[in-house]
Amino acid sequence: MIRRFLRHIRTKLILWHMLTVVSVVLLYSSSAAFLLFHYLREQLVRHAIQDLETVEGLLYIDIDRNMGMHEDYHNNPESKAILERLLEVRSPDGEVLYRNALLGNRSLGGPPFPGEGVGGYSPRTFVMEDGLSVQLVSRRHTFGKTDTVIRVAYSEAPLWERLGEVLAALLIPLPLVLVVTGFTGYLLAGRLLKPAHQMAQRAEQITGSRLHERLNVEQSDGEFAELAQVFNGMLARLEQSFHQLHRFTSDASHELRTPLAAMRSVGEVSLQKHATADEYRDIIGSMLEEANRLTRLVDSLLTIARADADQIVLNPSRFTAFRLVEECVSLLEVLVEEREQQIDVQGDRVVAIEGDWLLLRQALLNIIHNAIKHSPLHSVIRIEIAHTEHNRVVITVRDDGPGISEEDITRIFDRFYRVDGARSRDTGGVGLGLSITKWVIERHGGAIRAESAPGAGTAMHLEIPAARDTGEEAAAARTSTNGVARRDSH
Amino acid sequence: MRILIVEDEPKLAAAIKEGLESEIYEVRLARTGEEGFFLVHSERFDLLILDVMLPGRSGLEILRQLRAENFRIPILLLTARDSVDDRVEGLDTGADDYLVKPFAFPELQARVRALLRRGVPEAPVTMKLADLELEVSSRAVRRSGNPVDLTAREFDLLEYLMRNQGSVVSREMLMRDVWKETMRATPLDNVIDVHIARLRRKIDDNFDPKLLHTVRGVGFVLRETIP
Repeated sequence: MIRRFLRHIRTKLILWHMLTVVSVVLLYSSSAAFLLFHYLREQLVRHAIQDLETVEGLLYIDIDRNMGMHEDYHNNPESKAILERLLEVRSPDGEVLYRNALLGNRSLGGPPFPGEGVGGYSPRTFVMEDGLSVQLVSRRHTFGKTDTVIRVAYSEAPLWERLGEVLAALLIPLPLVLVVTGFTGYLLAGRLLKPAHQMAQRAEQITGSRLHERLNVEQSDGEFAELAQVFNGMLARLEQSFHQLHRFTSDASHELRTPLAAMRSVGEVSLQKHATADEYRDIIGSMLEEANRLTRLVDSLLTIARADADQIVLNPSRFTAFRLVEECVSLLEVLVEEREQQIDVQGDRVVAIEGDWLLLRQALLNIIHNAIKHSPLHSVIRIEIAHTEHNRVVITVRDDGPGISEEDITRIFDRFYRVDGARSRDTGGVGLGLSITKWVIERHGGAIRAESAPGAGTAMHLEIPAARDTGEEAAAARTSTNGVARRDSH
Repeated sequence: MRILIVEDEPKLAAAIKEGLESEIYEVRLARTGEEGFFLVHSERFDLLILDVMLPGRSGLEILRQLRAENFRIPILLLTARDSVDDRVEGLDTGADDYLVKPFAFPELQARVRALLRRGVPEAPVTMKLADLELEVSSRAVRRSGNPVDLTAREFDLLEYLMRNQGSVVSREMLMRDVWKETMRATPLDNVIDVHIARLRRKIDDNFDPKLLHTVRGVGFVLRETIP
């Protein structure tokens, strides 16, 4: 695929190269030919003028008013040109006085136009009746009492012939030029695309299991080095995702294996002894508990798989952050009472969120549930709602629990990660709650952050965008309470 | 009441059959879609429990065919796939209810009961079990004639257990029907357990016989004798 694409680029490069060279050759040849032609024509005109002056001296009028010309000029070196000369002499009123042998009875234009040959030579291009194109010059001349207009013309035919020869000389090698350009283009394109080819070759060798390989980045390759770096960045990200996926799969298998192992050994051991009906009942119950745990785990895994595949569609509605917190607190209230703890909710009551109520509720339930679980008996869990700059809502849940070590805090949102594996498994956790919470918050364009130190409790900050038009209402409400937090005890 | 189960996984089919037969139902089993289709046409059933993924013809195809032939029998679909689209497709095709595997057996019992009871008037206004009485309209509860003071949630919980008295209800059923919780992954198990403990303290602690029992691994049941 990439190779075909590169071949395509190469062909294109060669064609462009050839087209450029051919256009340059054509442009150069035609302008050279044009200049040459122009120069030769000027030469011809100049020559005609000189010749006209010579002719003036050679013409005579005899007594019968017949015009003649001394032809004793033949041993002149320019005789050849003179032989090609076309000569016509007319009186100012148009009467033909003389035409030379070469001209015969053809005409070099009709009666003289006013001002023809007066004070100059009136050089012009003239097309004769038989289609011959000539350079023509004229001159007034007076023989004794007779006024005449002398016209001398030279054919342009030799000029055109010369032009043809020159053009031929310039253009005949064109096929050869094409071949040479094609070849050099081929080499050049090959050279230019070589790094791309190497990259393609190497990239084709990189598979899922060989994602650690990278493309060579040679500084001399300029843009290609940049490209290779971009690809390498992509490979690094892919490798990381693969790695995560791999870890997720092996973690998930491990988590699935644990309840399976328990179920199996409970079943096997109990079959090896005789038990009463009540004991069997208990054994089956214990196996069912493991089955429930498996069910729950698979549910969570499916949720995560769907979240990863972006298949979970948000169902947004509008509610205040305070109502969300209240709802979660009231759901979990019995647990708090049972542990003789208190939940203290403070802060902004008006700021609204536009989001998926069920998902956000689940996320916050996870956080508050964790706080209740980890806080000691009789302690207070503090929840604070703040409407911050850039119109964002921050819900902070603070507990007096044992805290989380610095090492653990970076990993608590990882899937299957448990700060204290054995204990949270006993309480029914599968180590996915926080990672699902994180996903929910991020899916809403927010961020979640944990702040903790061993022995100092834990604070979870859930930051999500506030609903767009609550900015002013909420700001007004904030100023009216003058920054004094309202207390709400349970 | 006759129920036909079309399910290709033999263990699951046998378990459901046995479970339903222990109630008042008469159950037939079909292993493939074709067999099920034939049985529906040759015998009379009150309810069809249909697995979606079957060898040969899929459950959805059979469902579509039956509805096209104007069979009005209630149909409960079983499936391992639970995306919203699958659910909608199943219900659109004409299923009356939909259950995702793995499900708790009490859940299946409850759905079967509900489907067979359709059109039958609601439960009575006053429910009784031994000397425990619950009056729905006034939300009053008495044990041995003594009024019991319950919170709103505790009352809802007890009412639900009373309506299902004699059968086990799972935590998932409580979560969905009492707490109206639609997300399966919400961590409310502890909450349910605490509520059950409190309810038990109020209606059972000072009285005999004990009525509210925990069935380990399955859920809770309200009945006079220990299961």
